[in-house]
Amino acid sequence: MSAPSIWSAEARLLLRSGRNLVALILLLALSSAAVWAGIAEVEHQHATIKRVEAEQVRDLAAVAEANAGPEGDAGYNAYYAFMLTQGPPPPLAFAAIGQRDLQPYVLRVRALGLQAQLYDSEVYNPELALPGVFDWAFVLIYLLPLVVIALGHDLVTGERETGRLRLLLSLPGSGLWRRRVGLRYGAVLAALGLPLVVGGIVMVAPVSGIAIMLLTAALYCGFWFGLAMLIGASLRTSATAAATMIGCWIVLTLIVPTLANATIARTVPVAKGIDLTLAQREMVHHGWDIPKEETFERFFVNHPEWRGKEEFEGRFHWKWYYAMHQVGDEAVAADVAAYRASLARREELTKTLGFVLPGVGTMNVLHRLADTDIEGQLAYQDSVAAFHKSLREFYYPYLFEDRMFTQADFRRIPRYEARHSTGTLALGSLGALGLLGLLALWLGSLRIARSGIGSRSKGRGPGMAAFGKLAEITH
Amino acid sequence: MSAASLIAREEWRVLARNRAGLIASALLVLLILVANFTSLERRSAIEADRERYQASVDESFDAQPDRHPHRMVHYGQFVFRPLAPLAFFDAGVDSFTGNTVFLEGHRQNSANFAEARQSSLLLRFGQLTPAFVLQTLAPLLLIFLAFASVGREKERATLKLMLAQGVSGRSVIAGKLIGHAAIALAVGLPAFAVLLVFAAAGAAEWGSVALMILGYAAWLLLWAVLGVVVSALAGRPRDALAILIGLWMVIVILLPRALPEAASAQSELATKIETEIALHRDLLKIGDSHDPDDPYFNDFKEEVLAKYGVDTVEELPVQYAGLVSIEGERLTTQIYADAANRQIASESEQNAFVHAFSVVSPLIAIRQLSMALAGSDLSAHYDFLDQAETFRYDFVQRLNRMQAELLPGIEGDDPRISAAYWQDIPRFAYDPTDPFARSQNLVWPFAVLLGWLGALAALALIAARRIERAAR
Amino acid sequence: MNMKITSTPAIAIEGLEQSYGHKQVLRGLDLTVKRGEIYALLGGNGAGKSTTLSALLGFIVPQAGTVRVCGIDPAADPRGARATMAYVPENVSLYEHLTARENIAYFLALADAMRGRDAIEGALTAVGLAEEAWDKRLSGFSKGMRQKVAIALALARDVPVLLLDEPTSGLDPRAVLEFNRLLDAAREREVAVLMVTHDIVSAVDIADRSGFLGQGRIEEEREASASGPRFDLNALHDRYARAGEPA
Repeated sequence: MSAPSIWSAEARLLLRSGRNLVALILLLALSSAAVWAGIAEVEHQHATIKRVEAEQVRDLAAVAEANAGPEGDAGYNAYYAFMLTQGPPPPLAFAAIGQRDLQPYVLRVRALGLQAQLYDSEVYNPELALPGVFDWAFVLIYLLPLVVIALGHDLVTGERETGRLRLLLSLPGSGLWRRRVGLRYGAVLAALGLPLVVGGIVMVAPVSGIAIMLLTAALYCGFWFGLAMLIGASLRTSATAAATMIGCWIVLTLIVPTLANATIARTVPVAKGIDLTLAQREMVHHGWDIPKEETFERFFVNHPEWRGKEEFEGRFHWKWYYAMHQVGDEAVAADVAAYRASLARREELTKTLGFVLPGVGTMNVLHRLADTDIEGQLAYQDSVAAFHKSLREFYYPYLFEDRMFTQADFRRIPRYEARHSTGTLALGSLGALGLLGLLALWLGSLRIARSGIGSRSKGRGPGMAAFGKLAEITH
Repeated sequence: MSAASLIAREEWRVLARNRAGLIASALLVLLILVANFTSLERRSAIEADRERYQASVDESFDAQPDRHPHRMVHYGQFVFRPLAPLAFFDAGVDSFTGNTVFLEGHRQNSANFAEARQSSLLLRFGQLTPAFVLQTLAPLLLIFLAFASVGREKERATLKLMLAQGVSGRSVIAGKLIGHAAIALAVGLPAFAVLLVFAAAGAAEWGSVALMILGYAAWLLLWAVLGVVVSALAGRPRDALAILIGLWMVIVILLPRALPEAASAQSELATKIETEIALHRDLLKIGDSHDPDDPYFNDFKEEVLAKYGVDTVEELPVQYAGLVSIEGERLTTQIYADAANRQIASESEQNAFVHAFSVVSPLIAIRQLSMALAGSDLSAHYDFLDQAETFRYDFVQRLNRMQAELLPGIEGDDPRISAAYWQDIPRFAYDPTDPFARSQNLVWPFAVLLGWLGALAALALIAARRIERAAR
Repeated sequence: MNMKITSTPAIAIEGLEQSYGHKQVLRGLDLTVKRGEIYALLGGNGAGKSTTLSALLGFIVPQAGTVRVCGIDPAADPRGARATMAYVPENVSLYEHLTARENIAYFLALADAMRGRDAIEGALTAVGLAEEAWDKRLSGFSKGMRQKVAIALALARDVPVLLLDEPTSGLDPRAVLEFNRLLDAAREREVAVLMVTHDIVSAVDIADRSGFLGQGRIEEEREASASGPRFDLNALHDRYARAGEPA
């Protein structure tokens, strides 16, 4: 039989088994469903943004009608004109929705204190968010290992239990395990990856992004196949091998991440968010009770260009009001930085955890690439903050120079421009995942090469000691 | 001693000699204890934080200087949602709902700073609470212990031996069921003990604790019975294990995640922005209460003048602007309440869709039950928002009344009233929700769990007949 | 196969020693099987029969002694040695969800032994598997039929050495008879057959020589007589019962 035909014979062997076929079809179906659900969610978000934009146009028109004109005061316009910012789903979001179900992707801001507006939530149903999203990343991280376990746990033990192992090993041919693992690996990746590729084409996602996602999946999948070889070749029966692998899956995807999350949440509190909100409120309201000059003095520290234009008659002037809000924001800058730092610290710890936990590493790579993690949300907040700054700077000349605010001026109010996706390749995480995946594959193939024969007399490699122990325990 | 109890004892002996099973059970018990410990610690830390914040914002409110009351309406109050005592057992949606709301006049702000928005995606792997361990991991352990219970006897032909000696199929199944039911309850015991200690210490209601224990007992029993029944009906233990793990995956992992996707496609939630814009439009229709000359408020003015028997606003013994604020607040609050109710209705509709599937995935039933009894479900959150809103309305109107009644006596172009008044304004006191007040949230999940147990009992009877026939 | 058959025996084991931990299984085993000869290696459980096969197949590296199969050292060149041997394990079941023909084709491919359709059908005919069963999946086969497919695989490989592990266990008398006929055919094709068994009756039916494995070596070897009953069955039983006892 020629080389290709031995592969096709192996493929027939794989697919003739009901269990393997069911597992692969199930994976294909789940992956397709997940990609479909992801696309639906992304489309839903796009539609929501469109809807909100239309509403916003009507609302702004009403505000302009009521406040802008020959008698128009920039103060009122700035007060009533909420400007829309939107964070449309990045092109790869359909595969890894991440936090986009919780984090606002539309937010309106006006020229008042930013810190009182930036953390507002959008409407989402907490009970639906509780179990986590169903997307391609979920299928990859949680379900793919189970399919690998179904296909790979009895590679060796299954042959031993049916008495075929010695026969197979007595044959002069080579590459049996390489072919079998390779074939299963390819089949699993194909079942998982095909829907992603189709989804990528439908969503016109960047080819490089899809390619990196596939690479990530390949490495993660490699880790589990390596583990399957390692455990399957070290244990005597299929049942113990399956139980041990399920145990690994529980520990790696259910227990350690939840334990780690509890630890991270405790060690890095993020209460600064509340602190800064409270501090900002105090600053702004305190402004009403202190001499206006004091507020202006603090304002001029960072905005000296308006010095000398602060005089006004009467009890109230918008320029003082907005200056007070600006000062309120500036006063909590340190709190903001601390809050951001605590969020970044949580991300960093998660990233570190991903260096040793392949599931978490995969999650990190995928969502960083898709720009749907906290970092993506913070980038959105940053762009909102930058826009808010431009908004303030736009109004200040009108306020400090007492210029009237006409309809034409209203049209000149800066509009938010959606930022481009800041998804990046988390090279470190991907590298660590690659290392874990290849290490598992290498150890697994070393172990499986020695499987079945002379296992009692041959020494185990150093890396095998721990797994040997595990095998003995689970016997 | 009956045959069934002998078989149950034998099952325990077999499992006691299964080292892997013992280690897994010990690990699970350990995990339950660790979860209890970390979750309790976490709850008390969060609770302490929120208490501290509440105390500090209350203090700041009292410490505000003499002011115009309307300024205090916008200075507002922050309220923090206290965590229910049993929230340590099941954190529910607490991490996904904001836990602090800023309350001010004629605005309804969102509850902000939800933990989930400030955590890395790691949070989406789940939270280590006793509920997580009991709901997600304990079923797997029970599966591993029970998948071979009957299949093993079939494979080794000991089943034939038993039946040949006159033991009925029912006794065999009953014995296995008793054996694994006892194990299931034993697995839950450490968690139950913690709950009982809590109730005994007066930290939780006996009723909630009792129902919680009943609910989880039913949930664990369900998996033990499922394990035995599948073991009896499947061909080989290996097949039984595959079927059971498949069921676990679908019931515990897949459906609970996939159903919300379908539910959110069922009905659309309006964004806050759309709601706000619509509200703003509705408010404009009524008029601007900040503006005493607002045409919409002219009718109101006529009524007020008639009521006080005067001809002009200046003759009123109260400040007219204050009365306008009271009226405006009343109107806007109604509009906000309508919008909030609409949102709650849409969310409830989505959740009802998911809950209906608890017939297929009883995990949804036990989760709903557990959250409701722990006081960490969405209803409890709505209740908090509702109480906060009631409180908001009350304190804003008090301030508005102060404006109406006290300001006319004060001279000057910057009228202020004494800071002492702020201290008279009541503080937010959250009245914890009573889970029994919304009994439909409890009855349905219990019905689902009992229904499953009943259906499985029927299957067990069929299995008993099947194994007798197969052995013949 | 154009192997030198006259000068070197197909199987030659000299002074083979093997122990697992403290347990010494083989203590200087000497054994030769010539081409065209059927050798029955008899012994009780744990006597070292399987270890001997493992040494021949290159699964284990001998701790002492030499092993040669057609002149090749299986420990040094396992693939080369295995290319000369076909091995039928005890109670083997091939792939249930493949047909008899597919199974043989597949295993031949695994053995890097390309054979045409004719060779496979010839082997299936030789083992006496009914033709209508050739394209049926193994899941419906009886134990005897499975055994036949396994032996057909060995025959189809067409190699000079055949190793059989308990080949007749679980076969009914008729199947044993057919099996013996197959071995006769193998003998005619100059194949060296080593069958490891504890079934004395089937061994004496067909073997040219038989050896008792005890104390880690061949304790006694008997040759079939050319005339009359090939072996004295009672004497063999008696010897078997004493196998492994200190002489």
